[in-house]
Amino acid sequence: MERVFLSKLKPFLDALAGQMDVYVPKKTGAHYVFTRYDPSGEGEVELNNIRACTPVKEFLFPLRELAAVYPEALEPSEVKPFAVFGLKDCDLRSLEVLDKVFTEAEFEDPFYVKRREKMFIVSSDCFKPGASCFCNIMDGGSFARSGFDLNVSQVKNGFVVEAGSQKGEDFVKRHSGLFSKVPDGAMAQRDKIRAQTQQQLEEQNAELKFDRPIREIMDNTHDSGVYDDEATTCVECQACTRVCPTCHCFYLYDTKQKDYFGKMKMWDSCMRMAYAGVAGGGNPRKVLGDRLRHRLMHKLSYFLDRYGINMCVGCGRCVDAESGKVDIRVVLKRLYEELRDKKKVKVGK
Amino acid sequence: MTANLYQPINGEIVEIIDESPTIKSFVVVPEKEFRFATGQFVELTLPGEGEAPFTPSSSPAITEKMEITIMKAGRITGLLHECKKGQQVGIRGPYGKGYPVDDYAGKEVYIVGGGVGLAPIRSLFLTLVDRIKDFKSVVCRFGARTPEDFIYKKALFGPWQRIDGVNIKLTVDKANGDWSGNVGVVTTILNRDDVHLDNAVAVVCGPPIMMKFATLKLLEFGFSPEKIYLSMEKNMSCGVGKCGHCMLGKYYVCKDGPVFTYDQIKKYPNIWD
Repeated sequence: MERVFLSKLKPFLDALAGQMDVYVPKKTGAHYVFTRYDPSGEGEVELNNIRACTPVKEFLFPLRELAAVYPEALEPSEVKPFAVFGLKDCDLRSLEVLDKVFTEAEFEDPFYVKRREKMFIVSSDCFKPGASCFCNIMDGGSFARSGFDLNVSQVKNGFVVEAGSQKGEDFVKRHSGLFSKVPDGAMAQRDKIRAQTQQQLEEQNAELKFDRPIREIMDNTHDSGVYDDEATTCVECQACTRVCPTCHCFYLYDTKQKDYFGKMKMWDSCMRMAYAGVAGGGNPRKVLGDRLRHRLMHKLSYFLDRYGINMCVGCGRCVDAESGKVDIRVVLKRLYEELRDKKKVKVGK
Repeated sequence: MTANLYQPINGEIVEIIDESPTIKSFVVVPEKEFRFATGQFVELTLPGEGEAPFTPSSSPAITEKMEITIMKAGRITGLLHECKKGQQVGIRGPYGKGYPVDDYAGKEVYIVGGGVGLAPIRSLFLTLVDRIKDFKSVVCRFGARTPEDFIYKKALFGPWQRIDGVNIKLTVDKANGDWSGNVGVVTTILNRDDVHLDNAVAVVCGPPIMMKFATLKLLEFGFSPEKIYLSMEKNMSCGVGKCGHCMLGKYYVCKDGPVFTYDQIKKYPNIWD
């Protein structure tokens, strides 16, 4: 892959914004949220050290959208190309999850597919993970290995830019004036920062390094009382599923407009009481603990069965957003310990 | 452009049949030929109000219209019950996997049904009867709360019982009028010697509580879990394994079901709730 050097972000973002809408993470309070990039702004753009608070799914699978118009079908409007800047490895891996669901052969979601085709991804390395980040436990780490068009790594005096797709390479070629040759030592510096960040992740999540696959822990503890116990502080705010970049449940509902009927598609949450309820009152997940079990089993066992990858990327957003005290890391640790101790007892017998 | 999987096709309700005090059948004519396999379901949209999943109760051999039998149980079904002939509807589907009828060939098919659960069973029954010679026999054990609560009374109390190769027994929870048949829940008319276990499959569809006890009874008889086919009705919404509402363990009932063997789902919690 081609690597070039960039000394300032602004000219790069300006060039990008000349072709499409660009979304950049902006510090808002303690977190970053994506906002539309305004090229008329003065000064250098700050690179986000950590993932944004909001999930990348909102660019492809918006909170609410019109999914169908009837009785006369309507051609959906064209999607303009757009770029999202500053995505992290966890974000890119969440796209991999959503791609599996929404671009599945025979069952393609046309709205997702259209937006995905028009999306230009500029990722960047993490250099200061948050306390809730545990991506290294979920097959991820401090930098993206694939899934980007361009990746930006901050080093001394600038940024190493690497193309990860044809689209990315074309951009670099077209704007060769923006870039220079990678200076001596910059690659070594990049790799050092990556390794340091990775080391920090390893240290802060040392307790989550289990001696068996998470899948195995989940499958052998699905009847555990830990779920009921851990769910006691859940207030069903559903924030965990909203900010989760891989949660993709939605709710279809119908509306009456002046000239047409519309079928709307809106984010939903499996943590909601009535979510799995049916007419007549049946509900397989009336109990909060059952809903927590289902959510985590879906992420760490069921999804793997179907698509071969975990549905959790370890971004820690759910931990940060939590109104109660539910923490996926704590649940995992308790399940692991329960299984380990159960096995010990068996051996002792 | 990929076809929009959320787009319903238009249809019209051309006839409404009162089946029981709480159940009606709606004959729907879709704007174009509509094919489904028995046991698959459709999402029926009441324009502007919402949609709900139903398994057609008619034979899949008929493609210009379909019958959908609906019990008044919630908001959409309540509104559908108020509809008149000529009502426009939307149809999405068909979705999921139906009954693996070909796998039943040469076997005794033991069908246990209750209440509105006879709706999907009717479609299966008509499919089996169409090629009755392919099966060793079709043994039906159906229950309802009272004699009035049986749906498809005309066929059920008469012509269906006279079909060669078909054996039907009925029961009601509570008898009234001139009911001379069995009284008791459906499990009271299940007998170990109704079928030959070594060459039989069972199909169960009905209210969850009935499905649970019927399944337990069949297991007690010695049916193996992979020979018990259950029609699981969960909150299917998108129909294509994405929205998540109907998940039952790792399965999407809409895509992997709605027909499952007991063996597939027995390990998951609360399957009957």
